[in-house]
Amino acid sequence: MFDTATALALLQYGDSAYPAGGFAFSWGIEGLAADGLLENARDLDDFVWEHLTLRWNSMDRVLLDRAYRAGDIAAIAAIDRDAEAATPSAPMREGSRRAGRALLGVSVRLGGALSVAYRTCLADAPHLGHLPVVQAVVYRDAGLAPQAAELVSGWTLVHGLVSAAVRLGVIGHVEAQRALQSARAVLAELLAEPMLPDALPSSFTPLIDIAVSRGKARPIRMFTT
Amino acid sequence: MTGVQKTKGARIAAARVGIGGPVGSGKTALVERLIPALLGRGIDLAVITNDLVTAEDAERIRRSGLIDPARVSAVEAGACPHTVIREDPTLNIEAADELERRFPGVELILLESGGDNLASTFSRDLTDFWMFVIDVAGGDDIPRKRGPGVIRCDLLVINKTDLAPHVGVDLARMHEQALAVRSNRPVLLTNCRKGEGIDAVVGMIERDVLFRA
Repeated sequence: MFDTATALALLQYGDSAYPAGGFAFSWGIEGLAADGLLENARDLDDFVWEHLTLRWNSMDRVLLDRAYRAGDIAAIAAIDRDAEAATPSAPMREGSRRAGRALLGVSVRLGGALSVAYRTCLADAPHLGHLPVVQAVVYRDAGLAPQAAELVSGWTLVHGLVSAAVRLGVIGHVEAQRALQSARAVLAELLAEPMLPDALPSSFTPLIDIAVSRGKARPIRMFTT
Repeated sequence: MTGVQKTKGARIAAARVGIGGPVGSGKTALVERLIPALLGRGIDLAVITNDLVTAEDAERIRRSGLIDPARVSAVEAGACPHTVIREDPTLNIEAADELERRFPGVELILLESGGDNLASTFSRDLTDFWMFVIDVAGGDDIPRKRGPGVIRCDLLVINKTDLAPHVGVDLARMHEQALAVRSNRPVLLTNCRKGEGIDAVVGMIERDVLFRA
């Protein structure tokens, strides 16, 4: 499916050590764990499935795919505005923008041409910079094909969630590997279905949205989302 | 072209100074002392805090009345205070960039790490200069443990000097050992509670970071 050079690029960009701030985002795990709604490995598997299937695949992946195929900066920004409009939760929007801008910042410092141009575009647009749109920009600069970009996007979400669960004490390091294995199967199944060119972004993850939205009201909080 | 020429109207990026150290050593107290001292010398300033589990440090500084609260940003560390200042400092870099965008004249950004251990160090991609704060009540053997934070920082600050006689610490010997393990690189003594030693820290920032005479 991927040649060796691409596989190595996937390992680099999909590595949890890639410096894009991902470790600071739990995307709802911290809140659900605090409320006793995420207590063990089985809960985590369900949570990751929900994130991947009902949000990432129908929302992030669609936005990424559209942004990847966008003809110019203005067209990418228009998709970014769609991302903003399609995310009702303000903390979820803020988290997506912070994660996106962190990823973009690294690519800019590495000299990615499209990233530099898009960063300039974002200077006067504080509501833009959403993660899936920026992923399209950054992974285009990295020379990844759309399929590879989708794979890295899905995988970085998965290991970010599992890593957050480990740091919160929900699971141990061995259970984390089992969780990653389960998530791999879910992700592979989703990626086997190609994106429809006219797909519109949508999601239905009310529990996750509420958990993220309540984050700022919590007196104890370690993660951005 | 000889030397460095400043382009007319060009903006110089703000210097970024990291402040790390163990929990309770007095990092926030030092920031609270540095803010009025630096502002008093006409330095345009902003602050970033990396609270570990709450926004307590950021809120404490915002409510202190020492600085415009809009100039204080908080960055969550995701339970990884090391990572957010070293392996992956991107969120702090973004926060600093954002402060520079919002306050174009800012000259200096203080970046306070969450409380950590002696292995904590700052990325050179994040900070131009960083200090590590320890305190006498943590034990006079801290310098001898040669943690990377103690050894590699640009400035080691030994705080709470007033407590030395109460915790059985020979301050002069602790200072001497700190200088020895650091090969005589800078070590300054402070009592942040009373403001003692702050002028020396500010003087060093002015001289070695901002390159003011």
